[in-house]
Amino acid sequence: MDFSTHFVAAFELTTLPQQLINGLLNGAIYALIALGYTMVYGVLKLINFAHGEVFMLGAYGALFVSWKLGYQPDGNAPPPSLMALVLMLLGAMLICTIVAFFIERFAYRPMRNQPRIASLITAIGLSLLLQYAGQIFLLNGTPQTIQAEKISPFSGNVVLNLRGADQSRLAEAEKLKPAWDAAVAEFKARMPLEPGGEFNLSQEGERLHTKQGDAERAYKAALNDGNAGVMKIEVPKGQVVLFTITIILMAVLTYLVMFTKQGRAMRAVSHDFNAASLMGINIDSIITFTFLLGSALAGAGAMMYCTFIPGTKIDSFLGLAPGIKAFTAAVLGGIGNIPGAVLGGLVMGVAEYLVVWAGYDSYRDAIAFLILIVVLLFRPGGLLGSAKVEKV
Amino acid sequence: MSQHVAVVPQENLVETELSLLRLDKATIKFGGLIAVNQVSFELQKGDLFGLIGPNGAGKTTCFNLITGMYEPTSGVITFRGRKLNGTRPDKIASLGICRTFQNIRLFSALSCLENVMVGAYLRHKTSLFSALTDIPPAIKETQALKDEAMHWLSVVDLAHEASRRSADLPYGSQRRLEIARALATQPALLLLDEPAAGMNPLEKEDLLLCVRKIRDEHDKTVLVIEHDMKFVMNLCEKIMVLDHGEEIAYGPPSEVRSNPKVIEAYLGEAV
Amino acid sequence: MFWGKRLGSVALALLGCLILQRVGLGLNSYFQTMLVLAGVYVTLSVSLNLINGITGQFSIGHAAFYMIGAYSAGVLARAFYVPLDKSLYSPLNNGFQGLVQSISPGFTCQLQPLMWLIGVMIAGAIFAAVAGFVVGLPSLRLKGDYLAIVTMGFGEIVSIIVRNQEPLGKSYGLEIKPTIPSIFLTWLLAVVCIAVCRNLLKNVHGLSFLAVREDEVASSAMGVNVTRVKVAAFVLGSAFAGAAGAIYAHSLGFVSPTNFSMDISFIILTMVILGGSGSITGATVAAVVLFYIPEWLRDLKTIPMAGFVGAIFATIMVVALVKRTLDGFQEKGRKTAMIFASIGAGIVMTIALRFALKGVTGLEGSIDGNKLRFVVLAAILVILMLLRPQGIFAHHEFSWKWVKGLFKKKTAVSA
Repeated sequence: MDFSTHFVAAFELTTLPQQLINGLLNGAIYALIALGYTMVYGVLKLINFAHGEVFMLGAYGALFVSWKLGYQPDGNAPPPSLMALVLMLLGAMLICTIVAFFIERFAYRPMRNQPRIASLITAIGLSLLLQYAGQIFLLNGTPQTIQAEKISPFSGNVVLNLRGADQSRLAEAEKLKPAWDAAVAEFKARMPLEPGGEFNLSQEGERLHTKQGDAERAYKAALNDGNAGVMKIEVPKGQVVLFTITIILMAVLTYLVMFTKQGRAMRAVSHDFNAASLMGINIDSIITFTFLLGSALAGAGAMMYCTFIPGTKIDSFLGLAPGIKAFTAAVLGGIGNIPGAVLGGLVMGVAEYLVVWAGYDSYRDAIAFLILIVVLLFRPGGLLGSAKVEKV
Repeated sequence: MSQHVAVVPQENLVETELSLLRLDKATIKFGGLIAVNQVSFELQKGDLFGLIGPNGAGKTTCFNLITGMYEPTSGVITFRGRKLNGTRPDKIASLGICRTFQNIRLFSALSCLENVMVGAYLRHKTSLFSALTDIPPAIKETQALKDEAMHWLSVVDLAHEASRRSADLPYGSQRRLEIARALATQPALLLLDEPAAGMNPLEKEDLLLCVRKIRDEHDKTVLVIEHDMKFVMNLCEKIMVLDHGEEIAYGPPSEVRSNPKVIEAYLGEAV
Repeated sequence: MFWGKRLGSVALALLGCLILQRVGLGLNSYFQTMLVLAGVYVTLSVSLNLINGITGQFSIGHAAFYMIGAYSAGVLARAFYVPLDKSLYSPLNNGFQGLVQSISPGFTCQLQPLMWLIGVMIAGAIFAAVAGFVVGLPSLRLKGDYLAIVTMGFGEIVSIIVRNQEPLGKSYGLEIKPTIPSIFLTWLLAVVCIAVCRNLLKNVHGLSFLAVREDEVASSAMGVNVTRVKVAAFVLGSAFAGAAGAIYAHSLGFVSPTNFSMDISFIILTMVILGGSGSITGATVAAVVLFYIPEWLRDLKTIPMAGFVGAIFATIMVVALVKRTLDGFQEKGRKTAMIFASIGAGIVMTIALRFALKGVTGLEGSIDGNKLRFVVLAAILVILMLLRPQGIFAHHEFSWKWVKGLFKKKTAVSA
């Protein structure tokens, strides 16, 4: 009984479109991070656990750039500017690229001839190291927020009305309004005549009070009914920009991977490591290139995550949750598969907001793991990938 | 109709006292690729049977079907009258079929003796609980299996390497160790997947004698995949040639050698 | 002969644990807790070693089994434990007590604390073993990094579920009364865990576990039931972790989800890997060492920033030098000499930098040692992978033969 009413109450259809859009916007960021996981897995067959931490450092990069430009939490800030946003984006991407270069060169490259588990452990270790060292060295671990409202020139919401209010009910409400006003006035006029005050009304006073209450209820019921069917989507303009940038970055990536020499080499390496090296491809430089590319995308994702998603606090554990979700997205789409990562990211974002919409906010983080486990068990190749059969 | 049926007519494929393994139109498809197509043959007890063919002919896939690594898409595989389709690999091993691998798959961190003991483990009787409590029956059994493993090591001339890490052995010895490990499961049927690959002529000669000895002295039936024609022709009494997953020839070595289809498959189409 | 030896070693183990208990009782409560926790970590590390090192199933969610054991102990104690000495008893209600009472009114369990602890250990082990069975099943289809992710996901899901359940105390946790710290039982559990793993490795059964680690396809072709081996490893390993959890819960008297977070899983994993995957000796020694280092750092309240930065530079230098040495030199004597020389240089460098950097702006502060715990653990993990991926003990085990050999060598040298 209890359960069913809860269930029905939770499925508020009118908020569904808004949540779906929220899911897609968040999913776009997951997709950006997932691309890094997927590309590195493609060439190295390594789950880069430290990718979430690269993302975290990117967020700090964006934060420090914004501070340098004068957008401090207190004091006077320069006027909002698009340039600042661009600089933050580039700053975050640059930081991530530098960090990724060092990680690849000094931690992963020496591990390349070791068993895969050894590289995985190194990745886990690096991830922990960056998290906890960050806690010491990055602003003493105090969470910080990017002053998005001071920086971003894009304020306000884009509103999309899907279904308007029930006009006939609203008109009815309008008609009921004067009756309520009259009842209120009548009761107010009566009040000075009441000897016992508000809490000890006479019979006449009681009657007027009830009348006022009834009129109010009738009016509000009509008003609520009229508005109940309203279905609209409100998206902050910043998030629209975020989505656009994401699409642009993905287009650039697709171009790089599909149509440039480096990209072709990258695909060759991911297809067959040894054969590619025999064909004269410089494996080291391709792996580094892939790493840097993936990390730059994570940096872009970090900057946008912290700027356009309100209330994001930056601390050294920032990368943990988005990292896991993006990884899930990569696996969901078929790890090693670039379009798969994008699709997986979007699905992951939507799935997460569907859980919120269904009223299970506290299980929001569990859904990623659940999807991950189910996908790995029943379709380990992911949505777009194909499972490999082990050769005996 | 495959040519094989002409050589061994269908009615001859009935269970006999001697019949050990029988493939009846075994087929496996991977997506659109038919790796093994309607292959039928029968092994008699004590046979030395060769399975040859160019690269990608489906020989190893045949082994994988027999040992349960893959399940046939259609067709029936029977061993001692028991249907093997869908049986787990470890179950098949316990029924008496054991194999070696083309790309050596030893337990590289374990010693040679331990590798062979894993094969002998198949016949353990004590429970896991007795192993965890280390009580006398478990200790005795381990000792017995160790002695047995030593015996098989000496059969392949590796007794002196017993305590060496298997990964440190030279290539030829690793191949022989794989044979010892398979023998330790005491199979009725031994499948050897390219046992002579990468060996020098001298080692091949030794191996030839070794396999013959195993067949004759230890009463095994042996099915061999091999690339080296000379080796197979010397070793086997019956040979089947596969190409593109299909049988193209079957018979004693002398017959197969002169079969035009076989020559074509190996050397390309005659001009 | 056999039984004499066996009974002797059992008696020796019991005696050792009793002595530890006597020694522990003489110390203050902090050291008592430390002793209990060290035993708990040895059990956890050795049991994870069974799954990770011996069977080769890379699991990084061990804390989940530990958590399940601890929470089942907590729930059971709250639901129906009444100590014999009733003065210790103060009822703590939660949903489960009501549940138990509605099924069988008035049911309580009155036992000696030690007996209760043993019972709860077994219960925790059973609950965790069931969970281990559930996690073991995916391991049949997954390998390596994928399995790692699934076990991690399982751990997180368990934690999230606990955080959302009112009767389990949500994020706050559960209080358990009375607290029954027993150094004796904790270490007995650790010894049993070690003994079980050692027995397994001595037996041909153990070889089948190792074979699964080395090559699943080949072992199934040799007739090893891979499914059974993997599930057995998961069930056994998680049962020990569950029992350790039950002991932990009753010794501290309080469990909360943060005691069993992903970080704990990583600590246990680091212990196994530092010791040398597959080596029981390694898992035990590493558990004690890695348990002690963070506690030691916790005591060092303030570490000068300059010294810390100096240590970082020195560590990087030493790692680079040792790596070069390991890759470059063939001669064993020179290798050892070089390694010791670089470590010595590192220490000198740390001290020198500590003073040299003292005046530098931005480095005058100090760091809370507590915050450094995970930095040090993670650094150990990464450095180990770079320099000695097989772990300190690699696959070697402690044996009396080895000790005797050591003495012989010594006497030969002195003679």
